[in-house]
Amino acid sequence: MTASRGTGVTGPTRTLLVWCADWPVVAAGVASDEPAVVLHANRVVACSAAARAEGVRRGLRRREAQSCCPEAVVLAADPDRDARAFEPVAAAVEALAPRLEVVRPGVLALAARGPSRYYGGEVAAASRVREAAVATILGRAPVGVGVADGLFASLLAARAAAGGTVVVEPGATPAFLAPRPVSELARVLDDPVVVDLVDLLRRLGLRTLGTVAAVPAADLLGRFGHLGARVSRLTRGLDEHPPRARAIPPELVVSTEIDPPAEEISQLAFLARSLATELGDRLAGRGLVCTRISIEVETEHGETLARLWRHEGGLGPVELADRARWQLEGWLTAASGPNPSDGPTAGISLLRLVPDQVVPDDGRQLGFWGGARDADVRAARGVARLQGLLGPDAVLVPERRGGRGPGEQMGLVPAHAVRLGAPAATDDAARPWPGRLPPPSPVLVHAPSLPAVPFDAGGQPVGVTGRGVLTAEPVAVGIAGRAPVAVLACAGPWPAEERWWDPAAFRRRARLQVVLADGTAHLLVVEDGHWQVEATYD
Amino acid sequence: MEALDLEPPADTRAVLTVPSALARVAERSRPVALAGQQALPVLPCLLALLPDGLRRGTTVSIEPGPGATALAMVLVAGASAGGSWVAAVGVPSLGLAATAELGVAPERLLVVDVGPGSQAGTGPGATPVGPGRTGRVVAPATVVAALIDAVDIVVLGSRVGSSDARRLAARAREQGAVVVALPGRWPGVADLRLRVDGGTWELPHRVLAARRVAVTAEGRGAAARARRAALWLPGPDGSPAPVAGADTGDEVVEVGDRVIAGAPA
Repeated sequence: MTASRGTGVTGPTRTLLVWCADWPVVAAGVASDEPAVVLHANRVVACSAAARAEGVRRGLRRREAQSCCPEAVVLAADPDRDARAFEPVAAAVEALAPRLEVVRPGVLALAARGPSRYYGGEVAAASRVREAAVATILGRAPVGVGVADGLFASLLAARAAAGGTVVVEPGATPAFLAPRPVSELARVLDDPVVVDLVDLLRRLGLRTLGTVAAVPAADLLGRFGHLGARVSRLTRGLDEHPPRARAIPPELVVSTEIDPPAEEISQLAFLARSLATELGDRLAGRGLVCTRISIEVETEHGETLARLWRHEGGLGPVELADRARWQLEGWLTAASGPNPSDGPTAGISLLRLVPDQVVPDDGRQLGFWGGARDADVRAARGVARLQGLLGPDAVLVPERRGGRGPGEQMGLVPAHAVRLGAPAATDDAARPWPGRLPPPSPVLVHAPSLPAVPFDAGGQPVGVTGRGVLTAEPVAVGIAGRAPVAVLACAGPWPAEERWWDPAAFRRRARLQVVLADGTAHLLVVEDGHWQVEATYD
Repeated sequence: MEALDLEPPADTRAVLTVPSALARVAERSRPVALAGQQALPVLPCLLALLPDGLRRGTTVSIEPGPGATALAMVLVAGASAGGSWVAAVGVPSLGLAATAELGVAPERLLVVDVGPGSQAGTGPGATPVGPGRTGRVVAPATVVAALIDAVDIVVLGSRVGSSDARRLAARAREQGAVVVALPGRWPGVADLRLRVDGGTWELPHRVLAARRVAVTAEGRGAAARARRAALWLPGPDGSPAPVAGADTGDEVVEVGDRVIAGAPA
């Protein structure tokens, strides 16, 4: 099935790799001459060429990036959008050469042997593939095509191509890699540990890939473990994982037939997720991890779409489900796009996950009896199910925002908008909010607020003066039209003036805490002379 | 020096069978259910009330009174901090900042909106949540059942009918989840009942700082004997704390309903 399998050759596969520069920016629909940065967790993950010319680099904080390039458009990272936009490129290249694999949105690789024989040489094949990719993205981004031994070298070649094609002759890969800096390793090993390792290697004086390759592999393994062994293989121009002559056991293939055929992406995503979990369990039972998988879908009319996905760190159930969703979304949106013949004409009736490359799982250390990850997977599955039941926005998760009122400090966002299980926060959360009430916060925040009236000893409503002082001490509070209840204690008022510089958004309020004789405590707010119960300390 | 052979042996059966053999041994040697797996952890300040933690597969109801919602949140905080997921269904006015201060991990909290219908309590159990994606009407009990499958603790803020409640209790038992029902939401008698007896607020610096409450827990089985504990709910920094050196007697003075005579209605 695979070019690398069953051939008995131990050398790395000749790989043709297509690299679209700054893909997250292109996928967001920004022209390459327009400055733009894509941020994830307040760090730049991608920027346009125009922004790079102004000094923006990956890894900068948002503020640093904006100080380099104040006019840059700031975009949020969205892997789904990137993958969806990449699907037409993958489809165009697949029309020229079968069995391509999507390394990540923006990068795809294929075995060079077949296409180079068909199109008459690696250079011809590379330029054919490049033309197809450029035509699909309408020249919005530079597309580099590299041909070399193995994925790592071909990725570096494609980047070095700078919008053209670079072919590294067979056997010349180690010499091609040797002068390049070690930081290039972080481009294929998508693992935060690698960043530390690269830093350490540099401090040890191993600044280029060639110097790392000269270190005996056993020493790297002994000092850095499995990661060291992988680094050693990559720098010597070999495939990251040693090629295996063993066939994948057929019981690792999981599939589901969908009857009646499904067209809704939410239903398909849910099915893909449960399939991915099943496959994950089977792989884990054998101590394996999948580094390359073929996701195959088939419609009622017999149209099929098979796509290979690769992830060097190993594809867990969550990553697998994400890739299946990306592929399905890309295909289904093509049907409603300008060129409907690219998409399916009927509902999806079969979904199959075929592991294409598995390696012994030597990476993550899981809990011996299974740990919190199990609960996270179960919760994610439940969320998907409820979203299918109630609609995508029915399940919400808290997000730290920032604000002075009790209901403004945290808000709710749909679960699909954030990464489940990771703390969600907007940029405002870290800002200072002078005038915000100190903890404890009220346990119930009424939406909408309940009307209330505080009375003084003479039975007259209490007000707050322009200087932020109570006109009289409140002795009783009537809430929502009920009989007034005596006040045991009260604290405040705390005036809050917001956006005084903006006449349309200007708000002037004062808050008052009251403890009532029935044991309840409330946070009252007055605005324009109207009192309301904003929250209750239940 | 001679490079070590990093390639795995051609016959990788040994590599493959070891983990599965290990899994079989683990399966055989594992107790039917570990004691720690039968109960979810609770915060240290609740250990006087629930020395064994929160038993999985049980139902808990909070009795009406000031502090009920805060108590529900404190009850689930220990498990949430320990990695369990918590879902709150039908509690649209939940103060999220307070929830986080009380110890619930916000990243493992799911809030499910079941629409305004369930709060009004028209026709318990049959209240439609609104048409789902497929146009079907989804009852709150269906949502709660799905959540019981997904998370360890469901905080129930929407009313369920008594037959639904029996089914949900059975499902929770089967899945090892805990249902914590807010006041008036659970029609039957729950396995564990918690009551907040009165509260006195402290205002040391002219701002609400802490509330001292007495909590009573009673129920079935190990919880048959009622236990009482004094708590700061919340404590001075928003998180709950045990009252130091408190005699859990009758020192908490309850404040009753006193209506000021003569005040305008």
